[in-house]
Amino acid sequence: MIEMPRVFLARAYSVIVAALLVAAAAGASTFRIAVGIDPDTLDPAQMTTTTVSNMVDYVVEPLVSIDVEGKVVPQLAESWKVSPDGLSVILKLRPRIVFHDGTPCDAAAVKWNLDRILDPKVRVPMRAPLTPIERVEVVDPLTVRLVLKYPAPALIAALTMTTAGIISPDSIGRYGNTYEKIVHPVGTGPYEFVEYVKGQRLVVRKFADYWGKKPYYDEVVFRIVPEALTRESLLLAGQVDMIILPPVSDIPALKRNPRVKVLLAPSDRTIFVAINNLRPPFTDVRVRRALNYAVDKEAIIKGILFGAADPLDAPMAPSLFGYCPVGTYEYDPDRARALLREAGVAPGTQVELLTPTGRYLQDFQASQAIAGYLREVGLKVAVRTMDWPSFVATILKPPAENTTQLHLLGWAPSYLDAAQQMLQFDSSQWPRNGLATSFYKNPEVDELIAAAAREVDPEKRASLYCEASKLIWNDAPWIFLWVQRFPIVHSAEVTNITYRPNEKFYAIHAEPAD
Amino acid sequence: MAGIGTYLVRRLGATLVALLGVSTIVFLMVRVLPGDPARVIAGLLASEEEVARIRTQLGLDLPLHLQYVRFLGALLRGDLGRSARTFEPVTLEIMHRLPNTVLLAISSSLLAAVLGIGAGALAATHANTVLDYTISTVVLFGISMPVYWLGTMLILLFSIKLRWLPAAGAEGPTSLILPTVTLASFSVALVARMTRSSMLEVMRSDYILTARAKGLPEHRVIRIHGIRNALIPVITVVGLQFGNLLGGAVLTESVFGWPGMGLLLVESIFSRDYPMVQGIVLVFAFLVAAVNLVVDLAYALVDPRIHYV
Repeated sequence: MIEMPRVFLARAYSVIVAALLVAAAAGASTFRIAVGIDPDTLDPAQMTTTTVSNMVDYVVEPLVSIDVEGKVVPQLAESWKVSPDGLSVILKLRPRIVFHDGTPCDAAAVKWNLDRILDPKVRVPMRAPLTPIERVEVVDPLTVRLVLKYPAPALIAALTMTTAGIISPDSIGRYGNTYEKIVHPVGTGPYEFVEYVKGQRLVVRKFADYWGKKPYYDEVVFRIVPEALTRESLLLAGQVDMIILPPVSDIPALKRNPRVKVLLAPSDRTIFVAINNLRPPFTDVRVRRALNYAVDKEAIIKGILFGAADPLDAPMAPSLFGYCPVGTYEYDPDRARALLREAGVAPGTQVELLTPTGRYLQDFQASQAIAGYLREVGLKVAVRTMDWPSFVATILKPPAENTTQLHLLGWAPSYLDAAQQMLQFDSSQWPRNGLATSFYKNPEVDELIAAAAREVDPEKRASLYCEASKLIWNDAPWIFLWVQRFPIVHSAEVTNITYRPNEKFYAIHAEPAD
Repeated sequence: MAGIGTYLVRRLGATLVALLGVSTIVFLMVRVLPGDPARVIAGLLASEEEVARIRTQLGLDLPLHLQYVRFLGALLRGDLGRSARTFEPVTLEIMHRLPNTVLLAISSSLLAAVLGIGAGALAATHANTVLDYTISTVVLFGISMPVYWLGTMLILLFSIKLRWLPAAGAEGPTSLILPTVTLASFSVALVARMTRSSMLEVMRSDYILTARAKGLPEHRVIRIHGIRNALIPVITVVGLQFGNLLGGAVLTESVFGWPGMGLLLVESIFSRDYPMVQGIVLVFAFLVAAVNLVVDLAYALVDPRIHYV
């Protein structure tokens, strides 16, 4: 406490210096983005949050990445080939790529990175999708071979995660970096890291020797502003050029405002009501289908989500590999009533709908509406919300102790492949083994999922997932709701702002509108 | 002076007991929550290995009484643990943010004191005139306006419409203006009301009559005899307000993205960073207790008639 006045003066001083620096830097072109989350780490291997990954992506690139449709495309690797037995993957690197510290990004550097990500000494929260790799071999300076423990066709998609981003091995021991924790990422990206001020901003500067298309802006400043309304104010005041996640209810007004542009980006996050398939009356597929017919998804999206979602037509988002549209449960309350009657569900049957609050776009409000629709078809529905830890504890109880009936949940796989989405329908993934909280079991589906996980041929694998999707859709283990959209709003004075369909913005090539 | 010594010991003892109580409640608060905090911190998609690591890191694998002993032991050494989100020491993160909150609290206290005392004195000297009613009405608005709403309105006017001031962040000295005004609004009102009533009482007292009787000009009567004597209860209010200011800072910092402890607290609650929440609540409790103690002692300086027994 005695130290405080000195720290205090130092802080006041730094505020003034920062102001002067901002003024001095006015000559360079700067693109300003307001985001809601303060980075917990800047180490690509330790990513846990999409927003933070999104910022790190400016600096660090993975071997492969995704395009606007979610397809895997070359990044540091210009091509890759999976062996016929699926047990090895050869990656060809682009020549002459350098890290921001001037060292080459070659096969040795890639091997060092993947070895580090697989090293248990390093904390890697999203390591699981990469664990099929048994070892990494340097074939020649531009060729890497991944030797796998078992065929893992989703591995290439998993390599697009920021977690698998490639940093300079030489940067360890410099800039405060250690092998266990990177605080100053040195990658190959279009921008290099400049500074991070906790709770305030992250600044990156254009990298002169970038191998790819050079960005327009000399500098990008990410302002950390947790409050949605404040981010919106900053944009409207012209103090930032782009924001993500404005208050949902303001989307219509923002759309009408000629000074800004609203981009509702498709994402990979499916929102659904998980039905407890082990609890009567939901053991009866007619009841589960009835619930699907009873809810007017379109109306909720329009009225409560302000258009920021698309109705599900498969048990996964369209951006995922393995997606195929399988159907719709159109709003048909009469049919729902008839199905319930057929299944012998008495009018006035008590049902509880559990929902988190503030976790997904308009989650609690949407649950209220869903309950309203279910009441229309004769069920007596109570909506109960609880804080997130209690909610998770309740839905993750094993079958014997689990007393849930319906719960609203959102699910966004960490990479765009059906493999991770399908865990929701895999009966080996019931709590406590996994997170398949609807306790759905269809032996045919289990088999298809297992076969797809081994299938090396992409076309065959996609058709296996498609087959499984059709069965799942008919079995209706969920009330299939919607795929959430990811709102991005930017000033009308800038253009070329797009997205990646995994809740990320893509503004690296942003430029003035005229 | 023996009186003040005993009083000081007694007050310090009571403060320590209060802080122990707060820390115990904070300790239990996190532990009685249903669910596995480690799973919540790690996220739904994290591996069991990661969950187990966090559980060990938080010491949640130990029996409750051992956890408590550990917690208090560390607390006595000034060790508030490590953030479950960033894995940095909590003390470090708080020290990084604290100056911003203190800066905001001080600037708002000053603004509240200057405006509040000025307005209160003006209202008192013009009691029951239009001026008095106007001040009282404005002051009433100040008390009634939620920080959240006022902050948003100020941003709307000064940042979005007029484009004079930054809407958020700590991007330079001008960034301090809107959060200060917002945070001060509630206190201005209280201080003004307190000053007014205290002033009115003082102005009716005999020594004011004496001062006037001996022919002192009215402005000197007010300045020398009026305001100074009326300030004693006002100091209490300003001091007690400090606790409210810290509470208000949580909201104000959120509205203005001001990188202080309040914003850190909100962020930590949303990310379930329990060690950080514990640390911030404790530091807030400590600050409030310390300020209250100082205010009590300050009476003696302002008014030699007050004795501590």
